Amino acid sequence: MRLLIIEDEPGIAGFLKDGLEEEYFAVDVAYDGKSGLDLALTNEYDLLIVDWMIPAISGIEVCRQIRKAGSLVPILFLTAKDTLEDVVFGLDAGANDYIKKPFEFEELLARIRVQFRNKDRADDSLSAGSLTINPVTHQVFAGSTEITLTPKEFALLEYLIRNKDRVCTRSRIIEHVWDIHFDSDTSVIDVYITFLRRKLEAAGCGNLIQTIRGVGYIVRETGMV
Amino acid sequence: MKPSALKGLSVMSLRNRIALYYTIATGFLIAIVFTTIFFMVEKIVYKQFDDQIKKEISEIFDDSDISPNNFQGFDSFRDIDAEHNDEKGDHQHEEEKHKKKKLKLDPEFIQLVNSNGEVINKSASLSWCVLTFQPNQSGTNYFNSNFGGSMVRQAQVPLTNADGKNEGYLIVAVPLKNALIVLHDLKDIFLFSFPVILLPLFLLTRSIAIKSISPIEKVIATAERMSQSNLDQRIPLPFHHDELYRLASTINALFGRMQDAFQREKHFTADASHELKTPLAVVKGTLEVLIRKPREREHYETRIQFCLKELNRMARLIDQLLMLARYESNKMTPHIVVTALSPLVENVVERMIPTAQAKGIAITVNQENNAHISADPGMLDMIFENIISNAIKYSSSGSSIAIEVKHDEGNVICSISDQGIGVPAEKLNAIFDRFYRVDESRSSSTGGLGLGLSIVKKLADLQQIRVSVNSVPDTGTTFTLTCQTAESPYPIELPC
Repeated sequence: MRLLIIEDEPGIAGFLKDGLEEEYFAVDVAYDGKSGLDLALTNEYDLLIVDWMIPAISGIEVCRQIRKAGSLVPILFLTAKDTLEDVVFGLDAGANDYIKKPFEFEELLARIRVQFRNKDRADDSLSAGSLTINPVTHQVFAGSTEITLTPKEFALLEYLIRNKDRVCTRSRIIEHVWDIHFDSDTSVIDVYITFLRRKLEAAGCGNLIQTIRGVGYIVRETGMV
Repeated sequence: MKPSALKGLSVMSLRNRIALYYTIATGFLIAIVFTTIFFMVEKIVYKQFDDQIKKEISEIFDDSDISPNNFQGFDSFRDIDAEHNDEKGDHQHEEEKHKKKKLKLDPEFIQLVNSNGEVINKSASLSWCVLTFQPNQSGTNYFNSNFGGSMVRQAQVPLTNADGKNEGYLIVAVPLKNALIVLHDLKDIFLFSFPVILLPLFLLTRSIAIKSISPIEKVIATAERMSQSNLDQRIPLPFHHDELYRLASTINALFGRMQDAFQREKHFTADASHELKTPLAVVKGTLEVLIRKPREREHYETRIQFCLKELNRMARLIDQLLMLARYESNKMTPHIVVTALSPLVENVVERMIPTAQAKGIAITVNQENNAHISADPGMLDMIFENIISNAIKYSSSGSSIAIEVKHDEGNVICSISDQGIGVPAEKLNAIFDRFYRVDESRSSSTGGLGLGLSIVKKLADLQQIRVSVNSVPDTGTTFTLTCQTAESPYPIELPC
C-alpha cells in the first residue's frame, strides 16, 4: 500500500513516514500543497494524509482538486484546526476522515486500516484460498501454519491479495508497493515474487501467485490446490 | 419632578420625548398668543364702552352748561334723563327723538350722588335700581361694576365747586351684557381649542420625529443583529448627508474596527494553537513511533535529540507568548534610564555575528558618537536582537545588514537595513501582528516563531520609540527606530 503525506512540518512528516514504513507502507512526502497535488494526480496512491495549513495550495483545495479530477482515493485530514465547523468543512471538501492534532499514532494507523477495510468482511484480515493475512499484526497463515515474511514480501503479497482475481502489472505493483525514490526497475518484483513463492511453497500454497507472461502477476481465489 | 415622573421620562422613547418637548414649547407659545389676543379684544371692547361713557358724560355737561370742577348744585343738571326732555322746545324735537331711539337700543344709566354717596338723582332707565358708588375709584377710571346681578361699565366723575371741594359724583354706566358674552365665548373657544390643537400637534410631531429618527431604528436593529459570527453587517446609509448619515458611517467604521480586532484575535488563537500543537504533535508522534519497536542506540539518540530540539523551540515560544501577555496586560513597566546607544548596539551585533557568519551575511555598523536616549536598556537590547535576527533570517548568503545610528532634530534615528527578500507593501502593516508571516504557509523553515516583531512593536511602544518599516520585495527591508534624545549624563569626552 502506498501513501502520500502532504505536510509542511518536517517533524510530523518525518515520524509519520518512519512509523508508516514500519507498518509496511510505501510512503511519499510532499511539503507543500502544489507538489502534493502534482504527486497525487500523477501517481496512484492508496491513501493520502493531508494537513490543512500548508504552503502554496491549502489542504482543502488539494482535496477539492483531487476529487474534481475524479479520484476516489481515501483522504485523511490531519490538522490542528479543531472546531466543529472546521471538521465539517474538511469532510465536506471531500475528505474521508478528519484527525485532529495532536493525535495518537495508533489511532492514525487504525483509521488508515478503516479506509482499507474490506467492505464485505467484519475483520481486517484478507484471504485467498487457504492463505490468510492479517494487516494489523502482519501475520500470514497457510491454514494454521504461520509463514514469516519480510516487510516488502508482506506488502507485495498484501497488494496482490487485495487485488485478487485481477491482473497486477509490474508497473502497478511498483507504484503501490515501492515509494517514489525507487527507480522503476521492475525486475526487482520478479526477485521478490521468487522469494514469496518459495516461502508459500514450503507451506503448501506454491501456485497461489501465477505469472501472466509479459504483463505481471495474479492471485486467484479459485483454481488453486 | 417626582422620581417616578423622572423615571417615566427616562424610559420614554426619543420620538415621544421630541414630540412632548415640541408640544410643550408650542403649547406655551399658543397660550401666550391666545392670552394676548384675549386681552387685546377685551381692551378694544371696553374701549368702545369707555368712549361711549365719555361721550355721554361730555354731552351731559354740555347740555347743562357746566363743568365738573365748577359745581353749582345738583339742580343745574337738567338733562340727566333723556325721557324727561320731551318738554323741551320743538326745535329740538327731532334730535331728541333720535336720541331716545338711541338710548333705547343702547341704554345708559346716569346717577348723581353727593360726596357721601347718597343718591340725589338718577335716570329713568335705572328704574328702581341704584348704581353702586365706589369711593375708591378715581374720576378718570372706567371699571366694571355689578349692577342688579349683571355687569356694567361704569365711570364716576367727581363734581367739585369753584373752591375745589368735592360735592358729589356723576355716575354714568352702560350695560356690558353682550360684550361679556362675546368675551366669555372667546375665552371658551380659546380654552377649548388649546387642547384640541395640542393633541394633533403632539401626534404630528411624533410622526415627524418617527420619520426623522427612523435611521436610528436601523442602527439599533443592525447593532442588535450584530454578534461575533456576523460582524460583517453594516448599517444602510441614509440618503441625506446629515448627522444621522455621519452617525451611521461612524458606527459602520466602528463595526469595521471591531471586525478587524475579532479577526485578528481569531487569527491569533488559531495561530497560537497551531504553533503550540505542532511541536507537541511532533514530539509525541516521534516518541510513539520510537517506542513501538526495539531499535539501535543510534536511532534512539537521533530521535531523542530531535525531540529535545522541538521541546526547546516550544519552550522559547511559550516564553515569548508569556512575555507578550505580560507586556500587554501592562504588568511589566519599562525601567527608563539615559542609555548610551553605541555600546548597546555593538554588544547586540557582537552576539549576532556568529549566526550571521554561519549564513554568510556581513553586518556593518555606522554610528554617530554620543547618541544617548531615554530607554530601558534591557528592552532596547531585545528590540535590536529581534530586528537583526529577523534580518538574518530573511537574508541570503553574501548579502549584508547595515546598522546606522544618527542624530536628527532632537531625535536619534537607528536604521537596520537588510538585502533580504523584502515584504510586499500590502503586507507591511501586518508584520507586527503576532504569528504573522509574509509567507502564509506558516513554514518554520526559517526557525522563526512569528512573535519577534510583535515583541519589538510592544517594547518600542512601551518606551515611546517609533518603529517604522520600509520594504521593497527582493531588494530589502529597512526598520527605523526613532527615539528621543536624552542629555548625556556625562560630559562629552573630547578625544585626546
